[in-house]
Amino acid sequence: MTTAPQAATAAEVTEIDTSARWPLLLLLGSALLWLVLSGILALVNLVQLHTPELLAGCSAMTYGRSSAIQETAFIYGWAANSGLAVALWLLARLGGAPLRSLNWVVAGTLFWNFALVLGIAGIATGDMTSNAWLHLPAYVLPMLLVAYGTIAVPGVLAWTGRRKEMTFAAQWYAVAALFLFPWLFSIAQMMLVFAPERGVLQALVAGWFVQGAWTLWLAPLALAAAYYLVPKITGRVIPSYDFAQLSFWTLLFVGAWTGGRHLIGGPVPAWVATIAVVSCALLLFHYIVVAVNLRGVFCGGGSTVLKFVAFGLVAYVAGGFLDAYTAMRGVAVHTQFTHFSEGQSQLALNGAFSMLMYGAIYFLAPRITGLAWPSVPLIRAHYAAALTGTIVLVVTLIGAGCVQGHDLNTASIPFADIAGHVRPWLLAATAGQAILLLGNLLLATHLFWLAAAKSAAPAVFDPAPAMEASVS
Amino acid sequence: MKNGFTFFLGLFLAVALAWAGIVMGSHVQLGHLAPYFDENEGKAFPERMPGIAAQGQLVYQDLGCAACHTQQVRRPDFGSDKARGWGDRQSVARDYVNQAHVQLGESRVGPDLATFGARPLAVDASRLIQYLYEQHGGMPAYRFLFEERKITGERSANALKAAAPAGYEIIPSHRAVALVAYLQSLNNVYEYPEARPVEPAAAKEGESK
Repeated sequence: MTTAPQAATAAEVTEIDTSARWPLLLLLGSALLWLVLSGILALVNLVQLHTPELLAGCSAMTYGRSSAIQETAFIYGWAANSGLAVALWLLARLGGAPLRSLNWVVAGTLFWNFALVLGIAGIATGDMTSNAWLHLPAYVLPMLLVAYGTIAVPGVLAWTGRRKEMTFAAQWYAVAALFLFPWLFSIAQMMLVFAPERGVLQALVAGWFVQGAWTLWLAPLALAAAYYLVPKITGRVIPSYDFAQLSFWTLLFVGAWTGGRHLIGGPVPAWVATIAVVSCALLLFHYIVVAVNLRGVFCGGGSTVLKFVAFGLVAYVAGGFLDAYTAMRGVAVHTQFTHFSEGQSQLALNGAFSMLMYGAIYFLAPRITGLAWPSVPLIRAHYAAALTGTIVLVVTLIGAGCVQGHDLNTASIPFADIAGHVRPWLLAATAGQAILLLGNLLLATHLFWLAAAKSAAPAVFDPAPAMEASVS
Repeated sequence: MKNGFTFFLGLFLAVALAWAGIVMGSHVQLGHLAPYFDENEGKAFPERMPGIAAQGQLVYQDLGCAACHTQQVRRPDFGSDKARGWGDRQSVARDYVNQAHVQLGESRVGPDLATFGARPLAVDASRLIQYLYEQHGGMPAYRFLFEERKITGERSANALKAAAPAGYEIIPSHRAVALVAYLQSLNNVYEYPEARPVEPAAAKEGESK
């Protein structure tokens, strides 16, 4: 009875996985520390929204600064570190060879996180810039750019040196994310920080960058994970795979044009907003293809990894449709400037991106360490917390946004009364964020437990499905 | 996807096209936008902000005020910005041409501030300073912008009417003064030629009847 799983283990965990163990664990460990930090700050921010006196006397924790730190920690801390770890591992596996130049990953990760600590200390002490998703002070930006390039080197080598000419959707998305972020990031640095544009052009560059960072960087990282995990775990071929390529290029070419939807009604050329509205509708094609391609995720049986992926995909596709809906001017007039937008961004970041990353982490960590997760109940508890927390957070923020949007547009309601009307929703959102944070603490603890375990039971994997043969 | 070069070119174009379209496209349209010189008034609008207000803009930026306040008035028939007294006309690109750090903002937890300096609340600087010291509705108190100082001789003229230990007074820091100067400088209500949407004539006639 025991020989079969062990044989499967040997086939499942190879040199490709184990050789990258420590660099990838370093990336994932840093990612989870940032995730927990950003979760704590998100909780503080939500409390501050309904109870402004919390930490009001502390200049580093005033709402404007702590929300900027929270966003920075989430995007550049959690999302960048975890996304890179997953992308590198996917490219190694699909490229069919162990990652080369792993020292670069270690050095890059250390520099990236060092620069980030420095930048966040800068935000806390008054060096914040005013650009969304780019609050980091000027002095750490070049270091972040170089560090990112350094971490990405083995991924690029795995792509160019791949054993097979044929490529997979997961590879396109991962490679796109590796290449596109440095371009976006360097242009944004130049045009917003070092040689800033004048007047409202700053807002246009910032809108383009924020949308680009989502559609050309974070979304591809998350989709790379989904396009790898779903066929791999279910053992089924991706249906309508021919469309995947068209969907990929749609995301890349149309995605960044949708940034102007946040500027509807603003002091910018009206065509920017109009193009964004049209692009949001065009992008629905991409979301539909993703849904069609990866619908097999619901046939995953008992796989916990697939449960995370399924939730992430539903959130991703729902988020896309919600973006298109709220981009319409008649809707935007109610939802813009409210908690509704925050709910949408939480749906994308916590619902889609993070869930897909959790799934990928649960899948890859036992493979790179060769050890099984120490506790299955802990994984289930994390899933329950992440699911409940995200749903409560997103739904209540959207609810708060609807109330706020209605009140803002009804001039007879005094402005001072709006906070009171929104307060119950924000209290519920705080509870959602607390549950989410609890879940993320479980994941962080679990990963450090796994990394510290030296002689625990070796991982036993289900026999690899037939798909594996074509991959490794 | 077999051809690595085509793939790479596609990635490059994906970034380049959106950048060229949105960023360079609006740059071509707005890059040369200059303040509007009004010969009757003998000066150009928007006016440059005073030095201390420019310092205050940096305080506004580093405290992250834009997390809760927008600085963009929407046109009268789009939302209730006008009805709330946030501005009679919509904000236009020319309003921002002199600003080194544009703070359009994306959230209205607090009111819009694009024309804050033109509102009655903003007339009295000492009242605004007091406002920053105390919590108002959803806005926290910014006590760290103030100093508690021992009174030597006379009470300072700029001391706040606030509870302080005996022998001490509360004095606004330079940052608080600059921030207030910045908020007061946000009073650009000048009617640019492009500042009103073209209203259909029929609708206007209907209103006047």
